[in-house]
Amino acid sequence: MTPAPADHLRLAVDIGGTFVDVLSFDERDGRMTLHKRSTTPADPARGVVAAVADLHPRLDEVGAFAHGTTLGLNAILQRAGADVGIITNEGFRDLLEIARAAIPASHMYDFSYAAPPPLVPRRHRLGVPGRMDAQGRELLPLDEDAVLEAGRVLVEDAGLRSIAVCFLHSYANPAHERRAGALLREAYPGVAVAVSSDITREYREYERTCTVVLDAYIRPVLSDYLGRLESELADAGLGHPLHIMRSGGGAMTSSVARTAPLTTVLSGPAGGVVGASFLATELGLPKVLSFDVGGTSVDACVVLDGRPTEVHEAAIDGFPLQVPIFDIRTVGAGGGSIAWVDDGLLKVGPRSAGAVPGPVAYGRGGTEPTLTDAALVLGYLDPAHFLAGAMEIDTAAAAAAVEERIARPLGMTVQDAAASVFRVLLARSVGALREITVERGLDPREFALLSFGGAGGLLAAMLAREMGIATTVIPQVPAAFSAFGMLRSDLQFEFAATALQPLDDKYLERLGPVFDDLASRAEQMLSEQGVKPAQRRSVRSLDVRYRGQEHTLPVELHPGDRSADLVQRFHDLHRHRYGHAMPEAVQVLTVRVLGTGELPKPGLQPLPPGGTPGEPVGTRRFHDVAAGGPVDAAVFLRESLVPGQQVAGPLVVEEGTATTVVFGDQLLTVDRYGHLFVRTREDQ
Amino acid sequence: MTDRQPTGDTGAAAGAAELDGATVEVIRNYVVSVAEQMRRTLVRSAFNPVIYDVLDFGISLYTADLELMAEAAGITHFLGANDYAIVKGTDYVGPERMAPGDVYLLNYPYWSGAHSYDAMLFAPVFHPDVTGPAAYLAVRAHWMDLGAKDAGYVLDSTDMHQEGLIFPGTRVVAGGEPVRDVLELIRFNSRLPDLTLGDFNAQLAALRTGEARLAEVWDKFGYGTVVHAVRRVIEHGEAQARRAVAALPDGSWTADDWIDDDYVTDDLIPIRVTVTVDGDRMVADFRGSSPAVAGPVNLPIGSTLGIAKAIFKELTTGSVPTNAGHFRPLEVVTDPGSIFDARYPSATFTQWSAIVAFELMHKALAAAIRSIPASSGGDEPGFMALGRDSRTGADYVVSNNEGIGWGATQDHDGGNAQQHPSQTTVRNTPVEVLEHKAALLHERLELIPDSGGPGRHRGGVGVLREVRYTEPGEVLSMKKRSKTPPWALDGGREPRPSAMTIWPGTDREVVVGMYRAAMAAGDRFVNRTAGGGGHGDPLDRDPAAVVADVAEGYVTPAAAERDYGLRVHADGRWEPTAARQARQRGDDAAPRSGADPAPVESSGS
Repeated sequence: MTPAPADHLRLAVDIGGTFVDVLSFDERDGRMTLHKRSTTPADPARGVVAAVADLHPRLDEVGAFAHGTTLGLNAILQRAGADVGIITNEGFRDLLEIARAAIPASHMYDFSYAAPPPLVPRRHRLGVPGRMDAQGRELLPLDEDAVLEAGRVLVEDAGLRSIAVCFLHSYANPAHERRAGALLREAYPGVAVAVSSDITREYREYERTCTVVLDAYIRPVLSDYLGRLESELADAGLGHPLHIMRSGGGAMTSSVARTAPLTTVLSGPAGGVVGASFLATELGLPKVLSFDVGGTSVDACVVLDGRPTEVHEAAIDGFPLQVPIFDIRTVGAGGGSIAWVDDGLLKVGPRSAGAVPGPVAYGRGGTEPTLTDAALVLGYLDPAHFLAGAMEIDTAAAAAAVEERIARPLGMTVQDAAASVFRVLLARSVGALREITVERGLDPREFALLSFGGAGGLLAAMLAREMGIATTVIPQVPAAFSAFGMLRSDLQFEFAATALQPLDDKYLERLGPVFDDLASRAEQMLSEQGVKPAQRRSVRSLDVRYRGQEHTLPVELHPGDRSADLVQRFHDLHRHRYGHAMPEAVQVLTVRVLGTGELPKPGLQPLPPGGTPGEPVGTRRFHDVAAGGPVDAAVFLRESLVPGQQVAGPLVVEEGTATTVVFGDQLLTVDRYGHLFVRTREDQ
Repeated sequence: MTDRQPTGDTGAAAGAAELDGATVEVIRNYVVSVAEQMRRTLVRSAFNPVIYDVLDFGISLYTADLELMAEAAGITHFLGANDYAIVKGTDYVGPERMAPGDVYLLNYPYWSGAHSYDAMLFAPVFHPDVTGPAAYLAVRAHWMDLGAKDAGYVLDSTDMHQEGLIFPGTRVVAGGEPVRDVLELIRFNSRLPDLTLGDFNAQLAALRTGEARLAEVWDKFGYGTVVHAVRRVIEHGEAQARRAVAALPDGSWTADDWIDDDYVTDDLIPIRVTVTVDGDRMVADFRGSSPAVAGPVNLPIGSTLGIAKAIFKELTTGSVPTNAGHFRPLEVVTDPGSIFDARYPSATFTQWSAIVAFELMHKALAAAIRSIPASSGGDEPGFMALGRDSRTGADYVVSNNEGIGWGATQDHDGGNAQQHPSQTTVRNTPVEVLEHKAALLHERLELIPDSGGPGRHRGGVGVLREVRYTEPGEVLSMKKRSKTPPWALDGGREPRPSAMTIWPGTDREVVVGMYRAAMAAGDRFVNRTAGGGGHGDPLDRDPAAVVADVAEGYVTPAAAERDYGLRVHADGRWEPTAARQARQRGDDAAPRSGADPAPVESSGS
């Protein structure tokens, strides 16, 4: 499609804990503008609409609008979703509560632990006759009257507006679930009905039940929110569909998101990972650690050959979910983490001062020193530049707290104490990053570190030094990099069918029509979403495992493949992922078609070549970990740096919403797109 | 306030100036991460679902003096047992005979502190600054088969030699090269050689990861500095634990309990522990328990230490990563040759008695420590199924660790259907996985109403699982506390114990604890797990809580009236029975501090 001349703006909106970030990308000149506005937790749609209106009162010139929402996630974390009822097999109403019967590892020595109440109380969990076996054969027909009676009890007696349906072995044969879903929707058109096999075709009944319950739990909340957003943005002139990020990459239109709410649950952090994957490809970095440093957490993800890794057993707040989710791990801690002395040993976290009272330096009543206070003491943050000067900062109070609570008990100087807070935090982060790479049989030193988020530039150089990572990249507008990633997403729809057969040539032939059917459904979906044929692509894949194993790995099907090619691909993948291949027979569990509708999206825009290299605007005294003490560091403004410019540390780059710190044994290089590369100096 | 050591105390840490509390914490994080990276490597490389899905393993790092530096999350009592096994294993081999790249295999139960299938691999790690090993690494995991008398689990062995191939600390890798002769020996003695050697390789990969990472930590900080920091960490752990013990009331408390039988005779087996808190130390004294018995329920001392350590950890430093210092205030005393200190050739294969003893320590401590819960059902009430699946032509062995109701505490109801406290991180096996791998069909899997011990706080409820064999096979019921009910506290009531009913409703019906039965197609079993013990008089339970329990079906209206003294109607209205009214009048007449005339049974110990 040729963009209308007026469609030159692309917007991405990311909601964090405290701010709505609106990133506006102008296709005409490649300029990106970031605007922040406080969130409105009571009515999140209002904050989004207001933040967008600040930047662009009319949306007629907007050609694409991408959004990552945390609404579903928050509803789960705060237990603020809908009251849900469950309909399942007779005799199995308690699957959700029995769960896997495990205690969270953090409570492994708590022998009086009592799990929080289940998301669905027992009285709202009903069983109906009907049963499939593990091969998907019907052992007992579905009792349709019992389904309707269960629906009546849940809707009419209990007043529920959301029902989850999950039957045993529905991954192998979803007929009973589909029939039950249809009966309930027909009887109660106003009630949201979620059916497990529509969301996942994986086995493990507790995990699948939990998945469909969470879907039903957030469905009304998300549906209301997206409905409001659609209509208000349309009123403001938006003439294109609103695109919502999925947790596992790709985007969907908001109308589709309303039917698959659970796939949005980690849509915010997914934006950063998609952005990291794009940069990894564009910059030719085969192994990247994406490192997103926010105010309350640090999120890391391994990106290999431009592809983010997916999580093996996804869970949110202890609830498993069988939907694709990037393997994003929370490591270390954020700027609000409290430092304290425990019997002579310095600890950082796990407690956080949060936004209130916040760090001591905010002067809102905080008395315990945080990482942010330590950063001020060490000169990494400049009170004058803090959040672009929007907040009064009391560095003296921060220093006094570090002295009283840490330096004195440990017998150190205030500087050493503050530096030690960073050392301890780094030791924890290094451990966590090593663990997520070791899990995949890789050495973290082979990776480049891509660091973003408000404090990404603050920790990156320090972390890279500590881990022996040679290359660190700070992208443009690092504070809004997650939103940038959203602008890079394509529309994606996946269709799957269960197979459960040995992988041989005969079976592969029989799969041909199955794949064709899935592909035509994907085509039709893309067409309905307005994607032109030239922008449509599809990839066929099979979830494969060794016989007797439980977990599968996805193997892509290429045209002309024989089963031996797929088996070999699976062995290689298994060896790469788990360290070994097995002599066992190989089975297909699921076949999938992923349909992609390419969206126009921003590429990297080279900065104009030449230009006068930026000069320092001053100096600031900071703690140089290379020198082991305070040094004078040159302060640069990011907008003054030009392509090809090289500056040796120690130095600081300020850009209003972010600060990048470079130490004395490191070299800063600006690439043609304006990315900051921090490398170890050759002369060191 | 702080426990900083005098500056002179740097001893062996040659060249290390006194370390500040930040550097010690940095090094501690690095060392703990070595254990965690070993864990990730093991899970990544394992063939065996018991390792990668059920997470049945234990990983530990030791100093040159065999003190625990760090461990990775795993089975709680494995971890404690590793500490004993590493001492016996290195003693057997002799550190002076060890060379870089060596790995040793230990599963001699009396040294390894576990049954013969929980194989521990250990490896010395060398550093140029010291002669002899500078550290040791241990990885224990459950192997699928080492050629014991029966497939799956052995329930009725009467000496060690019926429990599979034994290795006393045998060199299985010499200077980095696997010793082919030993591995071939394992291959020819195992019913499942590929899985067993696959797990061996996974453990080896974890040891190699640990070796490389520990060497990196030494390089980064200096060997002497790391040794010094680890010593500080251990001293810190000891101080934490001593402070926690000192906060407990002083005294000495004895509890008795019974293990069902040894599956050779039918007799109850008496066990006893006396726990003493004296200032900042604690003694767990198991003397007075039964001598070792003929069947395989005996515990080697390493296993008994594991239990005592897990309970001690709960009471003192449960939320922080473990090191040797955490256990210094604990002493364990046993009668040699008793069920808690079995000697060669006592049979030790089914160590469910460890789980019963775990709760026995709670029972003793409950007399003095208000936060201790009532009994959590007694033991781990699992089962195993074996057979051949005609759909695939393959033999199957599947197992399941079933949830059980946890004991109520003075503050809250017990958790419903959770893994027994002695193995909190283990998971059950999904119905769909069991039915996919084995020729089984589930008829029901539900919580059991009224199974929680009544009390002011109610014990958690247990689970009922009804399974039908669709083809011939075998079932193994595994429980060692099905003959006596789980104990309650403070006037709470006892729930029914766990049991399995095989062939229910037929003239062959049996109700069993530990049992092995051949099943024909169509045969059924019902596995029923206990609830937790109640805490406090059920007549004192908040009526709103009883009404909610009835609404949710955790308690039936009949039981609400019988146990809680409340008639609850379908619309939620309720009225007290005469018993509850009498109890309330009694309370009014004689406030809590006074003698309570209500006929409340006070429990034995």
